[in-house]
Amino acid sequence: MTDYIIRRLLLFVPMALGIIVVTFGLLLLIPGDPAAVLLGQEATPENIASLRDALGLDDPWFLRLGRYMLELLQGDMGVSIFQNAPVSDIILGRLGATVELALVALLMSTVVGVFLGVTAAIRQGGVVDAVAMLLAQIGISMPVYWLALLLMLGFAVQLGWLPAIGRGEPLVSALGMALRGNPAPLWDSLAHIALPALSLALNSAAIISRLVRTSMLEVLREDFVRTAKAKGMRRRSVVWRHALRNALLPVVSVIGLRFGALLGGAILTETIFAWPGLGQLTISAISQRDIPLIQGIVLTFALIYASVTLLVDLLYAAVDPRIRLR
Amino acid sequence: MKTHLRSCVAALALAAAGAGMASAQELVIGTDVDAGTLDPRLTRDTTAYRTSNLISSGLVQLTPQLEAVPDLAESWESPDDTTVVFTLREGLTFSDGSALTAEDVVHTFETLIDPDFNAPQRSLYTPIESVEAIDERTVQFNLSTPYAPLLSYLDMGIVPSDYEGDMALEPVGAGPMVLESWTRGSEIVLAPSESYWAGAPEVEQVTMRIVGDNSARAQAFEAGDLDVIQSPLSPNDIQRLQDMDGVGSAIIAGLGVTYLNFNTSDPLLSDPEMRQAFAMLVDQDTIVNQIYQGVDEVATSVILPGSWAYSPDIQQPTFDIEGAVSKFNELGWSDSDGDGFLDKDGETLSITLSTHSEDPNRVQSVEFLQAMMQQAGVDASVQISDWPSFSTGYVQQGEHQIALLGWLNIVDPDRMLYSQLSSEGGLNWGGYDNAEVDALLEEGRTALEQDARTEAYRAAAEIIAEELPYYIISYQGYQLFWDEEAVSDVTANPRGAFRGLIGLATPE
Repeated sequence: MTDYIIRRLLLFVPMALGIIVVTFGLLLLIPGDPAAVLLGQEATPENIASLRDALGLDDPWFLRLGRYMLELLQGDMGVSIFQNAPVSDIILGRLGATVELALVALLMSTVVGVFLGVTAAIRQGGVVDAVAMLLAQIGISMPVYWLALLLMLGFAVQLGWLPAIGRGEPLVSALGMALRGNPAPLWDSLAHIALPALSLALNSAAIISRLVRTSMLEVLREDFVRTAKAKGMRRRSVVWRHALRNALLPVVSVIGLRFGALLGGAILTETIFAWPGLGQLTISAISQRDIPLIQGIVLTFALIYASVTLLVDLLYAAVDPRIRLR
Repeated sequence: MKTHLRSCVAALALAAAGAGMASAQELVIGTDVDAGTLDPRLTRDTTAYRTSNLISSGLVQLTPQLEAVPDLAESWESPDDTTVVFTLREGLTFSDGSALTAEDVVHTFETLIDPDFNAPQRSLYTPIESVEAIDERTVQFNLSTPYAPLLSYLDMGIVPSDYEGDMALEPVGAGPMVLESWTRGSEIVLAPSESYWAGAPEVEQVTMRIVGDNSARAQAFEAGDLDVIQSPLSPNDIQRLQDMDGVGSAIIAGLGVTYLNFNTSDPLLSDPEMRQAFAMLVDQDTIVNQIYQGVDEVATSVILPGSWAYSPDIQQPTFDIEGAVSKFNELGWSDSDGDGFLDKDGETLSITLSTHSEDPNRVQSVEFLQAMMQQAGVDASVQISDWPSFSTGYVQQGEHQIALLGWLNIVDPDRMLYSQLSSEGGLNWGGYDNAEVDALLEEGRTALEQDARTEAYRAAAEIIAEELPYYIISYQGYQLFWDEEAVSDVTANPRGAFRGLIGLATPE
């Protein structure tokens, strides 16, 4: 087991290397000059040339890539061209918000998805099943951008129940304050995260619910379920304890994959709800051709994603003891 | 504004955050981008300009009518055509308490024109040969040539010469506000400055909150999370906001144009007559009134209607499909093979229209232009890419044929003509070359009498309207909306400056 984890962790190195080279190559291929973007439309060619020189953009690509790698080895992700601040500081300052949003959305989509899926499965063909699957269909086909604006229009503009934009205290510290007898920041944080998390979660909830339903339907037909029922076990316990646990295996892997999709979806959601996370930063970094920052963000996302997949594989073993990791 | 039926949760939340309508003196302004820097000399985006315009002050301030009035300078005079002497007000200080003297003015402009400093707007200041401090309160600008637009650019914020900190991140200025905090990508918070020469403004706090999406920003304003929003806004939202109760609005002419950049060095477009024929396929009315829903104004020439140089008699070609087709025919283009497209010497008349993807209205305009051109028998194709690819990788390299884009901050006609359309101009991406226009633009820049300048710009505009290196589609409008409960005394500024929101549209 420990061997397995160490081996998986070592695989991060070639993966990170590949990602750096691919991102760097893509950035070389797409047109657009960070120096010219930085200086704006009114900059003359001489201004641009002088800044390119100062930023070292005219050096050959292998020199720039090599320099970047060398810096990275020393734990330095470089300096953002536009913000003129260390990339690692910028990313760390925003990572928390994105992870928080993605985790809350993941939690929401899992709870809702599993609940809907199980309910639909045990009432297969009934009204509940039809309604749940209709909801799932809508959830899958609704564009996040549109959904987000719609939610904002409904809950913030029309009803005025929730704030439209921004973030409260980080959830963890708000939780800490609540435990020390000051619940107000926690409510504030929850009110702020509700809409972005909901719009981010819906798509995943729909996918998970359909998967849980299919998987449950299969398991419910298995012999051991019949046996459990025949023994006179309560229906609820048969479904939630025996059947669900076995139906959950494919779902776990999908939930892990969804986390990646949620990080991607956060790019849109964060921009709309002015959520101060990495998603918003990604958009601006790309539109400014801020090469070191884009590299840093892509690398961070990749590392998070790789860690989550590792975690999912470990969870596999926990959910189903028959699986041995080697 | 909508009645706020806040639930228990949200009410608690608001009480905690101290947000909402808590105090009329705290202003939250929604903006579309984060500032890149707060060093006034390095600003390039609107948020940076508007924020540093509050943190720092220039020698002059531009009124909403674009008139330069004294700010840090008390008065100025020109002993000859290439010298301007400014007298600073008495007892000026920066927000860190240090005195603001002529030396700081010298430092500001010396760095600004230093090529290694890489100031984005350096080219506006290059006619400044040197700046000298005569005494503590007197500073002299020596110009290499008479430079009429100079005053319009001297609202540049003055920075301290001996500041140890990082001006880009922890700016110190002599403006009406000071930086309290800056959360990158999220918000910039300003507090009133006790050191401003005209006294601290009455507002207690101004927050610039960044909401990137235009529609989301409008909704956040409606929901009461923002007190003030402004252009860029989507035309749909503008209409809706205008009709809302409790919302103040100013819809005025801005300082920008949306235009077609014709690449005059492209073989197909080098003949002015060809450019005229293409220009006659631009249905300005539909673009301005349908696509932009009337928030902009149909343009007639390269001079803004609010400018002293404007003349309604100068007219670019207007929409006329038949006229365009017969012009193409005259030039030898006809549909000889019956495929629906014009051709000449066996070659089809094809053209590439381009713009950038960030602005959906521009994309729509280009697609509409494409349809019009196809109707007239031009095999028009569209190329859309993101801003860096489009601007820095394509138009600025002169690789375009017809590109749709814009110019902003045209505080003086010189600013969108001299570098852009002089044959040697640094921003002449379409390679336009006309000796007469060169001479007129030089005259407009160096003549110091307004009448002579007006004459020069009108003559240049006349030629440009005929030769069409630029075809101006529209004069951009500027929109400002505010919650009347949060702020009452508002003066809109076409440049989007925020001083008019804190009662300082013009200094005392």
